[in-house]
Amino acid sequence: MGVPFKQIVVYQDGSESSMTAIMYGIKLAKEHDAKLTAAYVVNTRALSELVKAGIFVTVERDEYQRDLQLDADRYLRHASRLAQQKQVIIETIKLEGTVHVVMKELLKSSKADLLVLGGVTDIRSRREELASETDRMLRTSPCPVLVVRDDDDIWLEFEA
Amino acid sequence: MNVLDVLDRDLVKVPLMHTDKQGVITELVEVMAKAKGYSSEQFQAVLNAVLDRESLGSTGIGNGIAIPHAKSDVVEHVSLVVGISRLPVEFDAPDGQKSRIFFLVLAPSKEASAHVELLASIARSCTSQVFRRMLEQARDSDEVVRLFME
Repeated sequence: MGVPFKQIVVYQDGSESSMTAIMYGIKLAKEHDAKLTAAYVVNTRALSELVKAGIFVTVERDEYQRDLQLDADRYLRHASRLAQQKQVIIETIKLEGTVHVVMKELLKSSKADLLVLGGVTDIRSRREELASETDRMLRTSPCPVLVVRDDDDIWLEFEA
Repeated sequence: MNVLDVLDRDLVKVPLMHTDKQGVITELVEVMAKAKGYSSEQFQAVLNAVLDRESLGSTGIGNGIAIPHAKSDVVEHVSLVVGISRLPVEFDAPDGQKSRIFFLVLAPSKEASAHVELLASIARSCTSQVFRRMLEQARDSDEVVRLFME
């Protein structure tokens, strides 16, 4: 068990709460002098589901796959810029697949001792409880998980 | 991103008035345009985007559901309109079944991830036959919202 943390992984999905998480992760990495990784998973499983369900035609899937790759690059670049602002070294990793499965593999292979996640959603319906990738990561992570609340104070403190 | 993140009772219409594919799509876009205060040019741009996508292949996915969707930079964020029709509408679904439940999904090009997640969330929500039946029988927009919240 690594305390203080030496290998922190922050999950990025482009949401505002994952932005908050990367800010928190950067500060935490600086405090602990830990190695920091920002990971984004291109959800190719969702794309496959949409083709299977007949919602996407093949040409559309290919177009969205490119868009998702661009999304991933954009958000990981943003994470890098934020880390640079605080003089923290960051590694960015873009992966593909089923989000919680791929993340679990990454956490194991990188010997991460902390996963930082943006806000876990409030459970508003039974269906939703079974579907959230963030919730699944929280449940299946092989290492401790820190859930960062989407709080304006974190943004203000980061920008100070 | 899932249905509940974007579901808004002002963007739910029960019942839809049109009984043909083009009419239903237009009606769904009108609901969005009215709620968001789009100009007639913006309305037309969104409608064209949805119809262009429809020309690639029908978004009627079977089991009485259709999910017309498109990317359009007229919309600021991923948005959803839900419509329920009292009468089945021919939407060229692969199972030959006419549609009564409609989800119009629009997203700006910069929100591909959220767009894909929302579409997948709709697909998952509608796998239950019981849920589909309840949606078809919903009396008003409040009931549609309540069903998704259960």
